Amino acid sequence: MPKHIASGLKYLAAVRLKDEGKSQQYIADQLDIDRSTVSHYFNGRNLKWNSIDVAKTITELSPADFLAMVKAVFEDADMARKIVLICKENNYDAMIKESCIGCGLCVNLCFMKAIKLDSLHAQIDSICCCGCYICKEECPTNSIKILEIEND
Amino acid sequence: MIKNTKEIKGKDFDVTRSADEVRNLSFKNHICIGCGICESTCPVGAIDLGDVATNARAKVDVYFSGHDKIAQNINEPVDLQKVNVNEDKCVLCGMCSGLCPVDALVLTIDGVPIAEIDEYPSYNVYTIIDDDKCLLCQKCQNACPREAITIKRQLPNRVDLVTGEIEVNEEECINCGVCSELCPAEAIVVDPTTGQESIVIDKDKCVYCLVCKKVCPVNAIKAVCRSCSYGEYDLDPELAKVKGSAIIEDALCVRCGWCEGVCPADAVEVKKPFEGTLVVDQDKCGTCGACVDLCPCNALAFPISEGPGSRMEHVIASEEYCIKCGACANICPNEAITVTRTAIDNTPINSITWNKAFDALKN
Repeated sequence: MPKHIASGLKYLAAVRLKDEGKSQQYIADQLDIDRSTVSHYFNGRNLKWNSIDVAKTITELSPADFLAMVKAVFEDADMARKIVLICKENNYDAMIKESCIGCGLCVNLCFMKAIKLDSLHAQIDSICCCGCYICKEECPTNSIKILEIEND
Repeated sequence: MIKNTKEIKGKDFDVTRSADEVRNLSFKNHICIGCGICESTCPVGAIDLGDVATNARAKVDVYFSGHDKIAQNINEPVDLQKVNVNEDKCVLCGMCSGLCPVDALVLTIDGVPIAEIDEYPSYNVYTIIDDDKCLLCQKCQNACPREAITIKRQLPNRVDLVTGEIEVNEEECINCGVCSELCPAEAIVVDPTTGQESIVIDKDKCVYCLVCKKVCPVNAIKAVCRSCSYGEYDLDPELAKVKGSAIIEDALCVRCGWCEGVCPADAVEVKKPFEGTLVVDQDKCGTCGACVDLCPCNALAFPISEGPGSRMEHVIASEEYCIKCGACANICPNEAITVTRTAIDNTPINSITWNKAFDALKN
């Protein structure tokens, strides 16, 4: 069953990428599936069961739960990151306050690998941020500020 | 989330956070000087200074106050836990490690100590003994309050320092043993046992002082010292040199400067982390001796009375050997000691928070 959900998520990702104007070959490479499968997706030969509905429900969860589900469904962490990036509902604007002590806890916690330390100060790549707020919640000095930007 | 682990080895411990990178904070109790900088610096309040007051009590057995010789309570040697880190609070930021003046707390990231990572600050400190100038006299080794210096030296052979000749006429020798007893170099062995009498002179030990020759009741010893006359030229001055080197155990060194102060050859250079002042308010001092016990630099002492009727200060402080670590001021129950840091010499850093932490050391 997780495989079906994974396929459902990949389907959603494929549709998003198509909407962005990406080629079928690009989509196939990104999602590590055959080009013919991508083609099938777009021609309405859909997946078994209600995989797409489940996948949609997952993307509509809170960002932290969405991330947790995707992590659970995909064994490959890199693929999970890709799916989260493509399918996330919102974009985020993240910044680190001056009070950051550079402990690196956020770097270690961020599944999306969006945070790096530079000169004992954390830097968040907002594009990679999935909005799970795990870093913000765990930051010992409350130095992380994340703003949600509506996609539409 | 990520949980830290703590491994305790006696009074030392390691706090570790394992993720994509492994951060490890290690504490070494024997290096810690109990200054408390880590406790006041920790941004998450994870560090507690242990009971450092009585830590060194056993190392001195008798104190002198201004009035009397007081034998203080002499306990069994104690070695208490000086610092504790709460592993549930610690976030492995390394601030305690960066600001620890003696490397008792060391944060490593993937096995590399932060002192070796450019982004992290470290104190510009050093202790250098110039081997070319060093006379290998061991004065620094004896003065070092932390036993951080070892002077390894190899003495020349005595035979290379003197020149002369010595012979004993065994037929004339009566094996009385007087020469043997007087010989300052213990170079003569006489066996007076009847029937197996013998006399042996060890020429490697003999310094040609001629005591044996002069004392021999039967003039059996012929000896001449050539060192003072042309014999000097037979000696190779290279062979007369003391060879060796000074070894400083950097981890133990607190840069107190005793070695530099006592060196008769100006061979030592010490750079301290802080500049500042140490002031003892004699009226507040209760002569409990906690500061004298704790001072890692032997910079505090009770003065020795000059005799009956003389008024002494309660505690005397040597600014020269003080590193302004503040351990004494922290521990003083009467707040009689004020340590002020006016300048800190550390490598530059970009982080505002870390710079603030260094600034906070200047009080």
